[in-house]
Amino acid sequence: MKHVETEARPAGQAPPEAPHVDVTLNVNGTLHRLRLDARVTLLDALRDHLGLTGAKKGCDQGACGACTVMVDGRRVVSCLALAAQYEGREITTVESLSVDGELHPMQAAFARHDAFQCGYCTPGQIMSAVCLIAEGRANSEEDIREFMSGNICRCGAYPNIRAAIREVTGEG
Amino acid sequence: MTTLETGRTVGAGLDRVDAPLKVTGDAQYPNDYSYPGMAHAALVRSTIAAGRIRSIDVTQALAAPGVLTVITHLTAPKLERGPMTLLGGSPPAPLQDDRILHYGQHIAIVVAETAEQARHAARLVRAEYEAAEAMLDLNDPRAQIVENPWGLDTERGDVDAGFAQADVVVEGTFTTPDNTNNPLGLMATIAFWHGDSLTVHDSTQWPHNVRTSLATIFKIPESGIRVLAPFVGGGFGAGLRVWPHVILTVLAAREVNRPVKLVLTRPEMFTSVGHRPNSVQQIKVGATRGGDLVAIEHHGISSVAMEDDDYEPVSFCSAVSYACPNVLTRDRQARLNIPCPGSMRAPAEGQGNFALESAIDEVAHAVGMDPLEIRLRNYAEQHPFLNLPWSSKALRECYLQGAERFGWSRRTPEPGSMRDGRWLVGYGLAGVSYPFYQVPCQARASVRRDGSAYVRSAATDIGTGTYTVMTQLAAELLGLDITRVRFDLGDSDMPYAPQAGGSGLTGALGNAVHAACRRLVREFLDVVRDDAASPLRRAALDEVTVTDGRIHRVGDPGQGESYVDILARHSLEELSADGRSTPPQAEELGMALSGAFGAKFVEVRIDPELGLLRVARVVSAIDGGRILNEKTATSQIIGGTVGGISQALFEETATDEVTGRIANATFGDYLMPVNADVPDMEVLFVGGPDRATAVGTKGVGEVGLVGIAAAIGNAVYHATGRRLRSLPITIDQLML
Ligand code: FES
Ligand code: FES
Repeated sequence: MKHVETEARPAGQAPPEAPHVDVTLNVNGTLHRLRLDARVTLLDALRDHLGLTGAKKGCDQGACGACTVMVDGRRVVSCLALAAQYEGREITTVESLSVDGELHPMQAAFARHDAFQCGYCTPGQIMSAVCLIAEGRANSEEDIREFMSGNICRCGAYPNIRAAIREVTGEG
Repeated sequence: MTTLETGRTVGAGLDRVDAPLKVTGDAQYPNDYSYPGMAHAALVRSTIAAGRIRSIDVTQALAAPGVLTVITHLTAPKLERGPMTLLGGSPPAPLQDDRILHYGQHIAIVVAETAEQARHAARLVRAEYEAAEAMLDLNDPRAQIVENPWGLDTERGDVDAGFAQADVVVEGTFTTPDNTNNPLGLMATIAFWHGDSLTVHDSTQWPHNVRTSLATIFKIPESGIRVLAPFVGGGFGAGLRVWPHVILTVLAAREVNRPVKLVLTRPEMFTSVGHRPNSVQQIKVGATRGGDLVAIEHHGISSVAMEDDDYEPVSFCSAVSYACPNVLTRDRQARLNIPCPGSMRAPAEGQGNFALESAIDEVAHAVGMDPLEIRLRNYAEQHPFLNLPWSSKALRECYLQGAERFGWSRRTPEPGSMRDGRWLVGYGLAGVSYPFYQVPCQARASVRRDGSAYVRSAATDIGTGTYTVMTQLAAELLGLDITRVRFDLGDSDMPYAPQAGGSGLTGALGNAVHAACRRLVREFLDVVRDDAASPLRRAALDEVTVTDGRIHRVGDPGQGESYVDILARHSLEELSADGRSTPPQAEELGMALSGAFGAKFVEVRIDPELGLLRVARVVSAIDGGRILNEKTATSQIIGGTVGGISQALFEETATDEVTGRIANATFGDYLMPVNADVPDMEVLFVGGPDRATAVGTKGVGEVGLVGIAAAIGNAVYHATGRRLRSLPITIDQLML
């Protein structure tokens, strides 16, 4: 039995250098000029190239929401986005929410309701929650449950996450 | 023993002290760190489950852009296996020979300038195998069986005689699948060497274990190794052991002489960092017509990896839960070609309780008794085989108060008798007697010239609230406002702490912090012993108390002075003291050491045509001893309950029975509850501080999970009349 995991290429030939791209990313209101390997995701660009490690990597496959950031006012799972495609878009990350040490109301509500345990999903949950309200989709308990279901919390803080969002929408 | 009095700080539902860091994204998890010159690693994993590597060709990988090195079993140095730990043996060291013991075994590590380059090059490594037939099935007759692996088999009375007396005997085979811990944080390691010393960031639940293990494996002194884990993205047991990928990252860093970072991919998380092994359990319970249990026999078998250990005494719960005169419990393990299992939140208990508490429910129905009543009737007033009184047990109160809050009395006994429109409604309950587990721990406390305190220990806070509850505890014991106390953890240079696991850390660490803080107050008294200027001159520890940053004589707040004044007058920058805790001993205390207890009440709703099942309500009544912070403890129970719902209805790691490949190793395929799957739930804490230790906590990290699967299964029976003995419960089992 023979198992080979490889890419088709004649033996002995060195793989080519990956293409690089120049891209200017607008993150939290600041423009960053970057030269990136074309394979770099928006998530890795934020984390590894801009030092913004708030957005987290939980799956790298678009299935957990830990990497959620806001792009032009909408939620995006940044692990499924190639950085090179985000030139000129307005990218907002968790790092921009608190101003001068003052927590954003959603951050404060998460703290008060203990809406996390390990905290790893939290930046993604908070970005998702903030966007949810901006999108006008946090109008009922049902909506919150449904539209927050793209953000996995393996620690199981879901009831507390809902309570925090309800408080901010004024229904708590 | 000085016990802790309930004060202003301890018990209060304070917000987490680390909340601001977590909500702003400033908390740094292992994969958030980076260092100048850091290289990146990627793993290559075997695509067979058993056999040998016939050849491995790294030429293309080595030639790929940015690649610094590729290490395989042909080039890896000989590595010692990690040491025995309190949790058993260490996993086998990686890359030591050409043998493949399980699918997904690491067969090479690639290091490159960037993560993208490393991942790409890893795909260029060509391996050819000589495959052997893998043993993958728990029932495989060829599998080697390990009998009584932990020496925990029990027998009391005479079960055959017991069954002979029984009016009713229920018997069933229960199966639970493999589950994968899947903490949300991808586990990561960063390692860098400076000469013979080594710094490691790791997603560990036990920094000291990483340090000790790496010292053994790489033959370097422990004193030169520093392991850091101030924040960890969950663990649920996955961070208890020093896994091969950690060792490989350290090895790679030595090889390239640069910092190296490895972040596991999600599919790798299914084969690299343990899982809850599947089990098959035979349970038989006999009772009299009046509902007295007369015999319990419980046999469990779990899977274990080829050359590894894992702790899963699944039948043990049957030995300690009920006052039943005749009980026999037996555990075995079958060695298979599977990735190493390891503890996953409530190891053994999560599986065993499902069988036991389902069977008790069956007995209740068989004798026509309320499931609550039968549990109260057979209540173990004292430890059933040690025959000692419990150090604390408020399980009866859990049952009664939980039933009250849930509205258990509204339940009509007949299966299928409760409906709400098209929904069949079922009520189910289960009890939990969680074992006690505690190991030695140390902490150090200091009070500084400015009157602030600094307390630390090399523990971890995997989401449990350790930072917060230890800050509260130290504030209480030193008489300081919580804002004046800093508690630090997650650094192996701090005093020794055991793992965050087994629901034992809060107890072990709490009592070490207690000891350190008490000794620190004594240090202050020692300083002023002969100080004529001090109102505390010649005061003994039990003659004083602490409030508002001052030590004063009991009952006379005027007779005392502040830490600040004492330090200033004696020209001291700070005073420090070490504290340690050792686990209490049952024989010495004349008490059986209690873990947490709980009663779980669940309402399910089932659509009989579609087979839909919704968990509508959960009430958990918990005796966790002293609760240090009601808010974080409640979160522990809620999180555990979500884990229980997940075990009951969602999770199943699917192994391809021919190749041993994990067929659902992504978050898209491996089901876990999302927000919409989880109801609001109620948590009640009952009981008081445990008598065995000064602080009196019992640990609430796991008791929340246990019993949920059985309570759901029992509720399904009540709704439908179907007894489901195999997890997870899925739609096809519910179509009526
Ligand atoms: S990391 Fe992007 S969705 Fe999971
Ligand atoms: S807080 Fe740990 S995953 Fe949500």
